[in-house]
Amino acid sequence: MDHFAGVDIGSTMTKVVIVSDRIEASLIGPTGPEHRKLANRVMEEALRQARLTFEDLTYIVATGYGRINVPFADRQITEITCHAKGLHSLLPSVKTVVDIGGQDSKGIKIGNGKVMNFVMNDKCAAGTGRFLEIIADSLGVPLEKIGELSLTAERIAAVSSTCTVFAEQEIISRLAGGEPIANLMAGIHDAVATRVYSLVKKLNVEPDIAVTGGGAKNIGLVRALESKFGQKLLVPPEPLITGALGAALMGKDIFEKYAAEGQQPTRSGHRLEEATFFK
Amino acid sequence: MAEEKKGRAVATTTAAKIPKFVRGNLSATLKAKEEGKKVAAAFIADGQDEIMRAMDIVPAWGESFSGVCAAKRDAEKYLQKAESDNFSRSLCTYATCNIGFDMMREELGGVAPEGAPWGGMARPDMMLGNGQLLCDPRFKWPQATQHYQRDVPVFVTNMYYPPWDPNVDHHDQEAIYVKYATEELRETVKFCEKVTGKKMDWDRLAATVELSDKTWDLFIDTYELRKHIPTPMDTGDAMNTMVPLTFNLGTQEAYDFYVDLKAELEQKIADGVGVANPEKYRVIWAAGLPSWFALGDFQYFNGKGVVFPVEVTYRGCEKIERLDLPKTNDPLEHIAWRWVRYWTHWYDAARKRPGSTPKVERIIEYIEDYKCDGAVFHSAFSCRSWHAGIMQQAATLKNVYKDLPILIMEGDIVDISSYNEADTHNRIDAFIETLAAYKKKQG
Repeated sequence: MDHFAGVDIGSTMTKVVIVSDRIEASLIGPTGPEHRKLANRVMEEALRQARLTFEDLTYIVATGYGRINVPFADRQITEITCHAKGLHSLLPSVKTVVDIGGQDSKGIKIGNGKVMNFVMNDKCAAGTGRFLEIIADSLGVPLEKIGELSLTAERIAAVSSTCTVFAEQEIISRLAGGEPIANLMAGIHDAVATRVYSLVKKLNVEPDIAVTGGGAKNIGLVRALESKFGQKLLVPPEPLITGALGAALMGKDIFEKYAAEGQQPTRSGHRLEEATFFK
Repeated sequence: MAEEKKGRAVATTTAAKIPKFVRGNLSATLKAKEEGKKVAAAFIADGQDEIMRAMDIVPAWGESFSGVCAAKRDAEKYLQKAESDNFSRSLCTYATCNIGFDMMREELGGVAPEGAPWGGMARPDMMLGNGQLLCDPRFKWPQATQHYQRDVPVFVTNMYYPPWDPNVDHHDQEAIYVKYATEELRETVKFCEKVTGKKMDWDRLAATVELSDKTWDLFIDTYELRKHIPTPMDTGDAMNTMVPLTFNLGTQEAYDFYVDLKAELEQKIADGVGVANPEKYRVIWAAGLPSWFALGDFQYFNGKGVVFPVEVTYRGCEKIERLDLPKTNDPLEHIAWRWVRYWTHWYDAARKRPGSTPKVERIIEYIEDYKCDGAVFHSAFSCRSWHAGIMQQAATLKNVYKDLPILIMEGDIVDISSYNEADTHNRIDAFIETLAAYKKKQG
């Protein structure tokens, strides 16, 4: 049986998915400054999970911002295309994807499983997971708790600063002034949701809408986004792996397209070793 | 110190002559005094070119100079200088870069600051501003820079054209706008006569205007060769080859440049030489000034088989016969008609398509004529007047073409702090994947 792997190297997490005619394994590991070059370790762990060897993999596609320098990938495809592919396989009714990652957020419009249009936020941390990380850190609240905490707020304490650095200062000042942390968290989630909504609405949003990326694991952010979009948002079972899943499925498509013509796609050097970001 | 950057190749050898044009325009301002000529701080696409050329006034193009600073990644010191006097970064960075340079030059007693790109520009003897519908900062830019050069006289004209209104027939209004524009140009002549102490040679002006018309025609004839598949030239080169039309209109050198360019493109077509090999996708540069510090991004597109056979930006002319200009013996009135009709040229087409606008109709015309598979816009944050409406244009195109891939890039014309190469290339990659899916679907 042929096996296909997708590797998604994001700014904070490296994700690997291995598929055959089903998902054989999926693994999420940290990216981080030291881990960034160690995507091979995440791949090794995923292979162990799937009880496969590296040689069992028929085709490997890398995606995410670190996709270029993955030495064991046969092909690189952007995360926009891979997210659309992966999500369409999980939730075929979705026409709009909101992906909130560690360093960027993006909106993707899907039609028949293909990318119809997309928008990306960059150059500014506001509206991304990094914004929430910084605020959580400055308030001493574990990142995984901030979403639930925001839902306990009595009111949304509006945060007017759109710059991450100034928002952090504003939060600290408001905290000193007696504003409960939960209210501030609600304000922060509302601020991120506002930024993301203003970005994604450029796409002529159509339902169903799904949220992916690390942001989708934050229930407070999902609720805040639902409030902005005025409808319930779908969240896939594991929202972090849609890009890697899409990459694996793209690899499968590529291979099968060649196979239908009695050919095989060209493969790269195919070495399971460290990435080469900093050489 | 300018940031080091990779060199940028041009596809045509004719485009390689452009730096000489730009440098020549700058050095002409520096040599003007010894040649007994007056220098005018001037602005592009405002109908004053031929007046200056016919009176031997040397234009000092602030927008060109700022673009050169940006292309050399050496604008920051001028932007910071302007910012130190409370000019916001969100103002037009062509203006703030130029004003910052003017401020420094004034502090040095009128001498261009050391290390200014290509020697900088000379202190002007006059400023010819032009507030018009194209660019709102031009109302205040000359006034702002006059604050530092109080003895330099300023003359700001207003070259309007009928604003687009789907419910109003502009044909009924054009003559009024032409009359107004003609009078503005007449006052410009009087102002120039006063500053130079010389009278306008009206026969020379008429000959200059005639040469401009010929240049407009030749420019379009040349650029329409790019319809060929594979295209022999793309927007990466056009951001250079626009220079003679934009900054040297009314000169024989500008006309001759396009003679050479046309011959080269014809040869490339005969030889089957295209910009990209293979040419996979044809895309229109639908709107927006480029990031002058990142022109290499066009090569990034080309390297992946994407070419731009056409662009709206800097295609500042049209075939004269298509404009159907009324006959007149007054060269100023002819300039005014040419000006107004250039802008209203797509009004009739827009009126026929509910919800459309002239800018969108122009893009549609080019998409059809040049067989484009997608559209790229560049939204430069500091250029409001040119870039406002990009979202609306993109949305209207989607209504017409449904799935047509559209990329809206974000950056600036001069301010490099707006630019992130990795993210820009990531967007381009995703756009190309969308193009591939679109073209596959189209069969």
